[in-house]
Amino acid sequence: MKYVVIGVVVVIVALRVWQRMRRRAGATGSPQTPVLARTRHLGAALDRFGGDIGLVARREVRERVKGRTFRIGTLVILLVVAAAVTIPVLRKGHNVQHVGIVGTLSAPLRATVLAAGPALGTKVILVPEPSVTAARRALVAGRVELVVVGTQRILVDQGLQPSDTSATALLVRIISSSVSLQSGLVKAGISPLQALRLANPPPLPVQSLHPAPHNQTARTTAIYGLILTYVLLTQFGTWLLMGVVEEKSSRVIEVLLSTLRAGQLLAGKVIGIGAVALLQAALIVGVALGLGAAVGSTLIHGTAAVEVASSLLWVVLGYAFYCWVYAAGGSLADRQEQVQSLAFPLQLPILFGYIVSITAIGSSEPSTLIKVLAYLPPTAPFAMPVMVGLGAVTWWEFAVSVGLMLVAIVGVARLASAVYLRAILRTGGRVHLRQLLPSRTS
Amino acid sequence: MTLELDGLTRRFGDIVALDRLSFTVPTGQVFGFLGPNGSGKTTAMRAVFELVTLDAGAVRWKGVPLTSNDRRRFGYMPEERGLYPGMVVVEQIEYLARLHGVPHGDARAAALHWLEKLGVVDRASSKVEALSLGNQQRVQLAAALVHEPELLVLDEPLSGLDPVGVDAVSAVLVEQAGSGRGVLFSSHQIDLVEDLCESVAIIDQGRLVATGTVEELTTRGRRRLVVKVEGDWTGAWATVLPGVTISRVEGGAVRLVLDEDTDPQAVLAAAMKAGPVEQFGFERQRLSEVFRESLA
Repeated sequence: MKYVVIGVVVVIVALRVWQRMRRRAGATGSPQTPVLARTRHLGAALDRFGGDIGLVARREVRERVKGRTFRIGTLVILLVVAAAVTIPVLRKGHNVQHVGIVGTLSAPLRATVLAAGPALGTKVILVPEPSVTAARRALVAGRVELVVVGTQRILVDQGLQPSDTSATALLVRIISSSVSLQSGLVKAGISPLQALRLANPPPLPVQSLHPAPHNQTARTTAIYGLILTYVLLTQFGTWLLMGVVEEKSSRVIEVLLSTLRAGQLLAGKVIGIGAVALLQAALIVGVALGLGAAVGSTLIHGTAAVEVASSLLWVVLGYAFYCWVYAAGGSLADRQEQVQSLAFPLQLPILFGYIVSITAIGSSEPSTLIKVLAYLPPTAPFAMPVMVGLGAVTWWEFAVSVGLMLVAIVGVARLASAVYLRAILRTGGRVHLRQLLPSRTS
Repeated sequence: MTLELDGLTRRFGDIVALDRLSFTVPTGQVFGFLGPNGSGKTTAMRAVFELVTLDAGAVRWKGVPLTSNDRRRFGYMPEERGLYPGMVVVEQIEYLARLHGVPHGDARAAALHWLEKLGVVDRASSKVEALSLGNQQRVQLAAALVHEPELLVLDEPLSGLDPVGVDAVSAVLVEQAGSGRGVLFSSHQIDLVEDLCESVAIIDQGRLVATGTVEELTTRGRRRLVVKVEGDWTGAWATVLPGVTISRVEGGAVRLVLDEDTDPQAVLAAAMKAGPVEQFGFERQRLSEVFRESLA
């Protein structure tokens, strides 16, 4: 499994080296290889796409992707995701208990020791030890977790508390009682095979009044989806805010608007930064799913696929809703220092939706609050995926929420554009919303 | 082919930034837009690019109201400058060229051409924020020129430049005008740009004070003479002449303002009578004097 992680790192390093070489080749003007020339052609074709809005969007993509913050940030997120996917699987792989055996243990007793593993979801491997001294050394070195010395006693490295529920502690308790019982039965004259059967009775069937809680995998996926949505919305919203403030505070806005319409600039910015956000989201989800499939994680099994798709849809919808709000917020600022104070109130609904949703995911039944939030556009990107994760929503309820969101996006876009158009060229201090009311002549 | 500002009016609350301002900028010459600080020059220039909404008035290009397509073929350098601080110089100019409609293949070459011409090509791959203010200003000018605009609108392009920079920028303005383009630039240092402009519009408090060629403006009105008589430091000889006013005496050079019907030959004769004449000639008014007189 660790090879997968190493593989990802190698691919990232190789990509970086390739990029650096390409940059160097471009800088020195060395003759282009056919592949490079072809990518240039592709670049030129792309460069004509989308008119002025396309130009603005491509600049945003170029500048953002080039930035160190983005590259390091993406790398860190990818590593965290890779760790989150692989570590549980790797840990599960480690779940093997080595049991040292000193002296001879009859076949039925060995069978009892081995049978204790599956009951605890682990695998037991027997390790013959020549002597108690050797067994002690093996215990100290960690080669074995416990040692069964004949039918007399069990050796462990550290004393076990009654409250200890680790796999080793549980194994020690089971082996200790079943081996003791079995050898006692044999001593009492019962045949070893019968004793084995008596010491390991078939478990009673368990009947439940209610079905088991909903698919845990879907919930885990929903949690990852929530975190992803939260990180992407706040990160790219803040980028948009900072981008607008940068243009306004550096006054480059005047140069841009001498040839562009403000609406084109805004649309280009939203599309460009949105494309980067989507690219990053796709990369993260791609790596998570790819790694998950490679290491056999349960992340993509069962209903989780629906959950992944719904999370991605809500990331896109959430961005489409919040991007306008952030852009309008940015147009109110006059200096970079105002970014923080402007970003905070915009983050509040996101934070609220996120916290309520992430706490709701542990419950068996969705609360009324989360049901309501799932239909309110500012919180739906968080609450609706949780409802999907809990399996508490029908397809048409989902569609209604998406429909409401689409209507809200159109409304917010119009309102925010109006604010942006009025505020972006106003300098000399922070612009307050009431200054932009149409009744006042500006 | 002219730019026409017609009756531009703009109020900010109680402040009148532009008050029915009208003048015409012909192409093929350097046109100075002059006036003291806060007189409304920037507002008028921003109005050309619709960066400020007008209460009244219109801007016309070639006789018809300006469209966004026309503006795309203009070059603008705003007063407060404006470039992306973190963007590489040549990429920035290339991007602005593209926004002004320069084709993909030509934009980079055009950017490098103008950076070379303005002496900042060695900083082409630096970020804008790493450049000195003077160099940033050159880059800003390159941004206004990169798409070979039909009309240049430059707000205070000479402020903040050292003498070498002033000469370099002035040369570019003259060259652009020489190739038939319109060059409108503003300055609050009226006398400093007198030699650079062919025509000017002078404004104060949003109102037009004077407009015309520098030649017309500085030679119109009453004639001015400067006369120097050897050994004379006071100009007392001129005080008795009818129709002559002494405007000032400096180092023995007497500056005189003649009435309409005063004969300069009579002044010369009077000067010769006072002593050997070292200097005698007509003098043009300075633009700042034109400005002050117009206000009076």
